[in-house]
Amino acid sequence: MNINRTVLRQRTRRQLFQDCGVGVGKLALTSLFVGNSLYSKPSEGARGTHHAPRAKSIIYLFMAGAPSQFELFEPKQELQKLNGQTLPPSMLEGKRFAFMESFVRKPPKLLGTRRKFAQHGESGQWVSECLPHTAQIVDDVTFVRSVHTENFNHAPAKIFMNTGTPFFGRPSMGSWVSYGIGSQAKDMPSFVVLQSGPRGPRGGAMNWTSGFLPTAHQGVPFLSGGAPILNMTSPEGFEAGRQKATVDAILDLNRMNLEKTGDPEIATRISAYEMAHRMQTSGPELIDFSTETQATLDLYGAKPGEKSFANNCLLARRLVERGVRFVQLYHSSWDHHGGPGESLDKDLDEVCLSADQACKALIMDLKQRGMLEDTLVVWGGEFGRTPMGEVRDTVGRNHHIDAFTMWFAGAGTKAGQSIGETDEIGFSPVKDPVHVHDIQATILHLLGIDHTKLTFRFRGRDFRLTDVGGKVIKPLLA
Amino acid sequence: MVRTLAWSVILLAVPTVGAQDTAVGFFEEKIRPVLASRCQACHNDELKTSDLSLASREGALEGGTRGVAVVPGYPEDSLLIAAVEGAGVLQMPPTGPLPDEEVDALRAWIRDGAAWGEAAGEPAAAASLWSLQPVRRVDPPAVKTPERVRNPIDNFVLAKLDEAGLDLSPAADRRTLIRRASLDLTGLLPSPAEVREFVDDKAPNAFGRLVERLLESPHYGERWGRHWLDIARYADTNGYSIDGPRSIWQYRDWVIGALNDNIPFDQFVIEQVAGDLLPNPTRAQLIATGFHRNTMINQEGGIDFEQYRVEAVVDRVRTTGAAFLGLTLACARCHDHKFDPISQREFFQVFAFFNNVDELGGNLEETVGRSRMMEPILEFGGPDILAKRDALNKEIDDLEHEVDALRVTLESDWNERFPPGEITAIERAREIIAIPPDERSSVQDSVLDRVLHTKVDEFKAKIDEIQELRQGLPEIEWTMVMRDLPEPRDSYIHVQGDFTRRGEPVEPGTLRVLPALPQDAPRNRLGLARWLVSDNNPLTPRVTMNRVWQRYFGLGIVETENDFGSQGTSPSHPELLDWLASEFVRRDWNLKDMHRLIVNSATYRQASAYRADAAEIDPSNRLLASQNRIRLEAEVIRDAALSASGLLSPTVGGPSVYPPQPAGAGQFTQVDRKWKADEGKNRFRRGMYTYFIRSAAHPGLVLFDAPIAQESVTRRNRSNTPLQALTLLNDESQTEFARALAKRVRESGEDREERIRYAFEVCLARPPLQAEQERMAEFLGRMADSFETNPEARERTGADSADAAAWAAAARVMINLDEFVTRQ
Repeated sequence: MNINRTVLRQRTRRQLFQDCGVGVGKLALTSLFVGNSLYSKPSEGARGTHHAPRAKSIIYLFMAGAPSQFELFEPKQELQKLNGQTLPPSMLEGKRFAFMESFVRKPPKLLGTRRKFAQHGESGQWVSECLPHTAQIVDDVTFVRSVHTENFNHAPAKIFMNTGTPFFGRPSMGSWVSYGIGSQAKDMPSFVVLQSGPRGPRGGAMNWTSGFLPTAHQGVPFLSGGAPILNMTSPEGFEAGRQKATVDAILDLNRMNLEKTGDPEIATRISAYEMAHRMQTSGPELIDFSTETQATLDLYGAKPGEKSFANNCLLARRLVERGVRFVQLYHSSWDHHGGPGESLDKDLDEVCLSADQACKALIMDLKQRGMLEDTLVVWGGEFGRTPMGEVRDTVGRNHHIDAFTMWFAGAGTKAGQSIGETDEIGFSPVKDPVHVHDIQATILHLLGIDHTKLTFRFRGRDFRLTDVGGKVIKPLLA
Repeated sequence: MVRTLAWSVILLAVPTVGAQDTAVGFFEEKIRPVLASRCQACHNDELKTSDLSLASREGALEGGTRGVAVVPGYPEDSLLIAAVEGAGVLQMPPTGPLPDEEVDALRAWIRDGAAWGEAAGEPAAAASLWSLQPVRRVDPPAVKTPERVRNPIDNFVLAKLDEAGLDLSPAADRRTLIRRASLDLTGLLPSPAEVREFVDDKAPNAFGRLVERLLESPHYGERWGRHWLDIARYADTNGYSIDGPRSIWQYRDWVIGALNDNIPFDQFVIEQVAGDLLPNPTRAQLIATGFHRNTMINQEGGIDFEQYRVEAVVDRVRTTGAAFLGLTLACARCHDHKFDPISQREFFQVFAFFNNVDELGGNLEETVGRSRMMEPILEFGGPDILAKRDALNKEIDDLEHEVDALRVTLESDWNERFPPGEITAIERAREIIAIPPDERSSVQDSVLDRVLHTKVDEFKAKIDEIQELRQGLPEIEWTMVMRDLPEPRDSYIHVQGDFTRRGEPVEPGTLRVLPALPQDAPRNRLGLARWLVSDNNPLTPRVTMNRVWQRYFGLGIVETENDFGSQGTSPSHPELLDWLASEFVRRDWNLKDMHRLIVNSATYRQASAYRADAAEIDPSNRLLASQNRIRLEAEVIRDAALSASGLLSPTVGGPSVYPPQPAGAGQFTQVDRKWKADEGKNRFRRGMYTYFIRSAAHPGLVLFDAPIAQESVTRRNRSNTPLQALTLLNDESQTEFARALAKRVRESGEDREERIRYAFEVCLARPPLQAEQERMAEFLGRMADSFETNPEARERTGADSADAAAWAAAARVMINLDEFVTRQ
């Protein structure tokens, strides 16, 4: 193991040597341990895939706050019957919940849903009236109804879903992917983060950090409205030609210093400036929706210039078209405890309305462009919600880690099916439980990566996205 | 050929488990990790579940109540295999079946005789680890070119170079040297006058005197203090999702002051780890204990306070390992360390030292917890102010009790006071009163109070009085410190690292592979702190000197600066490391002495230009046949631009500040942070004073690899990305710096050539080469023309002439150069 890694590292070094284009350059220390020069080009050979990939890109629709599976996807007749009854304390034994002291004070009561369910599509998947558009794409989707996780607070659970551990500061999935198989994008970062809804995700940048991986692999948050990347706009008075002249002067002077010192780190900086300038010129074009037909805009419900999930879905497709590897969209908030702004009625309706149509549009649009074949779309939150009600202003549901629903589409996943089942009240999986690490292993698998082999040594240990767990969800693969 | 040979040397230098005897190698690589992660949590020498321990070969052969676990040579007869296959009644591990490859490995291992490596923690294994040996001081070796030796450091470096057939590079020129030493020791650029003075200084010890001047600068404490703050995981907010503000900048200032005062490093450590336990601690010694209060605090609703208290204690253990011992202690949280002689029990013994802090924990009510979130704290302000505050608080408290009592009375005679009628508010209150108090929601509580406030004068009077008293509370500065509980908490092993699963109880204790804690030492943090810096602890001085070396050369003598265990790399110059460590202790842990030694060595002072001959033999320059070019740290990139522009506000210390940050930077956190950029002097403070929000750190810092203060960081990445280029090109601060630099340059002379020369002197401490001069002149000409023909664009740059605008453009080029952001 050690020997292989050392050889690998040597090979990387040698490649850098050749790639620098400066003849025999001195290898700067920086390149040796962070592999900077790998940023702008695919890094096959250094790390790369372990088997033929099915997915080229991922669009991950992260439903921040944790949607209620009982209102959206999981009709449970038994739960309807038991509505209002106290949950037998034996079911709570040994379990830990958020706001646990309220459970201790008063044993929670089971809560049936007021939402109507129906089976949809040829495959007959259950979806509630809350998501009429999603109901139309069920034949392109696999529902996993038995996902379980380990953390019952928002931030640690999000971090767990993204990094495989609840600890802040470990590399996120998108960073691992960028580190593992590099980017195909010539003028965009390989890992882009978009956000919509009233607030940013809990845990903030920890959800897309590169952790101990080189910083080049961290997620780049795009801003809504205006320039998508921080500092993408030239200073006042330096538009077009003057900015280019400035960059050219910097490049020329750096080249002179490269000749003098032979440090390939300067060559890397030169390509970084070249790419920065390309990003500046292609950025406005990226967010310019005028090249989209009205039909496409209508499909998504996108309105140019608006800060919305619909716009972000369309932007995600455009990013994937430009070779971006991993696009993650955060949409808030699904945290329906029953408090003010958190009701399972009006507030759930609102967030469903803002998300539902664009989800359908994304799948249909990708499909009609032939992009769904190698783009994986993932939909889900950080955990689910309890079958018991939680009494606040209205009756809502608490955080639940034992079972919840996610869906997947495209890139060699089987379409029109459900995986996993939960018990009669939806408390725990009874068939095919799927752990968060399994989801991560499967996403990497579809990208051609063996999750046990993509590792990084840090503090004396080989870390990986799936920690010590994870198995590929075989029934998900076509 | 030569290259192949060099690589094989490097291969051998990496400790390779697999290269040992193959059977043992197979065990170490494939089997030990499986046993450790899957079995030993229950089947260890202490728990012996079902009387079985799989911690040693003997234990496995002996078996437990169900029989012999391992029959060497016969997997089919071994209960271990039956259990993991789940073939019979027994299915192990209880968490679910093992992956096939692990079962196959176990089978193959037993078939081949069940070889066993030395157990972690066995004396033989410990004895072989170089870093645990006592520090051995050897005389500096003889070298082929003694004329190059400036001090003993060079003997050690030259001796290795001699062996490889290499030599040191020539000394760097004086301009490079003064820029290098100024950046390394103070993080600021030398002024053109300082450069000239040094270049013209004909005295024999000109460089030595320069170094003395830099070591005496108050900016030395800032520069080296920031390195320490990485290790201390310092930040201005609490972390996790809510990430609210905290007050602990006084600790940051203590670090700067302690380094400027050059207090001995052992004292530096003791005061930070246990200043509160010293006899009659001074205020400064209490502030110093902020070191271990830099742990994160979770303020999210619905959390289990105990869980996050435990995380903070674990972080203290992890930090202790990284900062002082260079050991990956955290690996032993869930199981015995797989590679180093550290048991899970020992992890929790160290944990026990930090487990008694009087901070939030346990199964607390939300409301109680929230009010004590940041404690323990140290408050500033005279006793009279504190007494005034306490008296006011008492008054407020009493009034609140009165309000509570009044509310009860009002509720009970609500119907008499307000007979049923039309007024909605009163009817709404009536409905709420009908609900038992502990079943009301927080919204209902506040609705009721609002009604009481508007309808009952007596209630209103009391509430208003409380408000008024609150406004009169004096603002008192405070900082987070350590304080132990009078009765220590009980500590246990956490089974598989899970704090809800208590294993055996443990007492505070240190690691058995290191010299023991003296019999009479107190079993508390003070005992631990003194042990960390005791004369016979070989790790702390080695780790500290290695890290100092790393800052000057880009890499440590031990490349894995936070892992001196068996998985770390071996030192490139073991004798030099030991010489430095022993010299450090011999000089009473005097840090400035050690800086002086290293910076004055010929090794430090050599040129950093590329050498083809050396790269052939030593591609990563471990032997130091030249200095290394190192990109500046995030904060220092800002500091360099501040000094070049002349805008720098050199104030040392004080509350953190808010330089401009790009709009939208806070858009992606749960709480969109208000960031109002400072005006005036605070706008131009050094990068290390920027208010640091853990979940949304200033992009200018994070993009250039500043750590995000989630845990202790002993070495930063040095990445090189397009987003950095965008920041240096377009950030608002950079534009301000460029404008000020341009003004400074234009005031330096009339002539274009002269000005270009000055710009290079200011930014790079050297005049331009002919080609650089010409390229810059061409650029300036072009920009001047462009702004001349386009006055509208010129106006938007804020410049009052085309020449001024062109120079602002040229200044922008200067502070974007690779050489500008690099220490050569």
